[in-house]
Amino acid sequence: MLKIHNLHVDVGGTPIIKGLTLEVPAGEVHAIMGPNGAGKSTLSYALTGRDGYEVTQGTATLNGEDLVSLAPEERAAKGLFLSFQYPLEIPGVPTLTFLRTALNAQRKARGEGEVSVPDFMKLSRDVAKKLGVTQDMLKRPLNVGFSGGEKKRMEIYQMALLDPRFMILDETDSGLDIDALKVVSEGVNALRGPDKAMLVITHYQRLLDHIKPDRVHVLAGGRIVDSGGPDLALALEKGGYDRYKDAA
Amino acid sequence: MVLDTPTLSPGEAMVLAGLPMTEAGDAARDSLKASGLPNRRVEAFKWTDLRAALSEPVADPDGSAGLIPACLQEALVLDFAPDGFGLEGDKDEGLIIETEHSLPMDGAGPVAVLAAGRAPRAVVLRVTSPQTRPIVLRRHPGAPMRLRIELADKAELTLIDMGLAAAGLATGLIEADVGAGARLIRYSVQRGGAQAIDLTHTSVEVANGGSYAAVSLMFGAKLARAETTVCLAGSTARCDLSGAYLLAGQSHADMTIRVVHRAPGSETREVFKGAVQDRARGVFQGKILVERAAQQTDARQNHHALMLSEGAEIDVKPELEIYADDVQCAHGNTIGALDDQALFYMRQRGIDAVTARALLVEAFVTEVFDAMTDPGLRDWFVGLARDWLAEVRA
Repeated sequence: MLKIHNLHVDVGGTPIIKGLTLEVPAGEVHAIMGPNGAGKSTLSYALTGRDGYEVTQGTATLNGEDLVSLAPEERAAKGLFLSFQYPLEIPGVPTLTFLRTALNAQRKARGEGEVSVPDFMKLSRDVAKKLGVTQDMLKRPLNVGFSGGEKKRMEIYQMALLDPRFMILDETDSGLDIDALKVVSEGVNALRGPDKAMLVITHYQRLLDHIKPDRVHVLAGGRIVDSGGPDLALALEKGGYDRYKDAA
Repeated sequence: MVLDTPTLSPGEAMVLAGLPMTEAGDAARDSLKASGLPNRRVEAFKWTDLRAALSEPVADPDGSAGLIPACLQEALVLDFAPDGFGLEGDKDEGLIIETEHSLPMDGAGPVAVLAAGRAPRAVVLRVTSPQTRPIVLRRHPGAPMRLRIELADKAELTLIDMGLAAAGLATGLIEADVGAGARLIRYSVQRGGAQAIDLTHTSVEVANGGSYAAVSLMFGAKLARAETTVCLAGSTARCDLSGAYLLAGQSHADMTIRVVHRAPGSETREVFKGAVQDRARGVFQGKILVERAAQQTDARQNHHALMLSEGAEIDVKPELEIYADDVQCAHGNTIGALDDQALFYMRQRGIDAVTARALLVEAFVTEVFDAMTDPGLRDWFVGLARDWLAEVRA
């Protein structure tokens, strides 16, 4: 599924990711943990192609296809989805208009037909019901006036609707209370599948109680410095990241 | 004092030669001969240099007045063409239409003088009762329009003015008296080509409890200037002005607005938004003057614009001049670029950069049309903005 080899990423001329190698096979959920400033968000932006995150060396492929040379929207059409740490408010653009435009743009890029308005409305209602997203939220401009928790729920709603193959969840737990965390995690777990994979970026073990990872990686100083099973997250929760200072 | 008589440019000379032999024509002739058209050294025209725009002979009128949208099929249409004035459609009771050759002028300034002077006669609308049928002012390329509107107390009228000139000099002067408790609503669509010059002056006086509400959409021209002067002469009078401008290529659009609060308890709301790209130029000059007698005035002015290219230009001059002491007045003004983060967010969801940009600009600009109560007209305006965005996508 996702293969990253010796990836180097500069932001504003400063190297942030320095030789990162990682493989997430189909059907698996991998967690990336690490201290502040380790390059976790940089990795998610570099993979999705944000301007200013320059890949200077190495490769990143999704199902064997190079990602680095593609525009952000082309990567999205290949099935790459980023749940943002800080979802943007887009005033004036109704949520459903935005999502229908996005879904049809992706389908068009893949050579699939457009989803009709009635089909889309049905799909959007079905998904909304599962995630506790209200019709009122869908009628509003995208994320405008939403609480932090509502924005995160909306990210997962978008993810469910767009049905991507590879999902990156960047600190999806931040801003969520316990109840919301449960709803969101259930939504995420429902999207797991044998032909899909996820990269869950988080500071804390708490999210991983709900979204159980197959592998846990520690990112420090721009590289993966440790990898292990779910137990590694528990060990990190107890011991912190201090022991990786030298490794970084 | 000895004044230098300017040497007129070929364009100015052509305008001069075309002025009719009327009182207003004489006044325009005298003004042109004495000082020519205002250039950038005149403060109010520093960003909109009429003299420079008319340095060459004006191109022959070309283009059309544009298509009347389906939602206005029932409207009464007044046609303003270079060779005269026509009328199409049904007229309801409570509306009298006349033409007059000579009228004292309410408007002021060189644009008003020129527009009055070029019109061989004025069309006068006398409205004595609320009109449900809107009136469309179809401005054909190169046409001079002069319109005088008298709204009796409690009368109501909706006006829509539109034009789509590719070339030629079009002028317009609208002078309106809004009686006590009367309402004048106006929607304007201005769109001109690279050889078109479009100059309009609107002067409105509002009596006690009356209101003037206007929504405009400008796409500019070689040079387009829409001047609006509103005098809230009666107490608790109201003025709502909204506008959007979308400019590309070498287009130039100027919105120059002056609202005078003369009596107590009146309100003004101004909301203008624009997006400018390529080497186009948008000008917004908005002045709110609150006279000493106009206590409890509540006036707000907002102008927000997006610069979509490095070569674009937006010039803004917001002004508040307040002589009363018990008032609430505020203005806000911002000019910025599109939000890169929002663009990336949309692209991450699969929307290409051009479409994402168009969606963001449309959302930003068309917000000013929320004030439009007629859904058909609102859709028309949003549709025109959307068409423009689809057309200019690079």
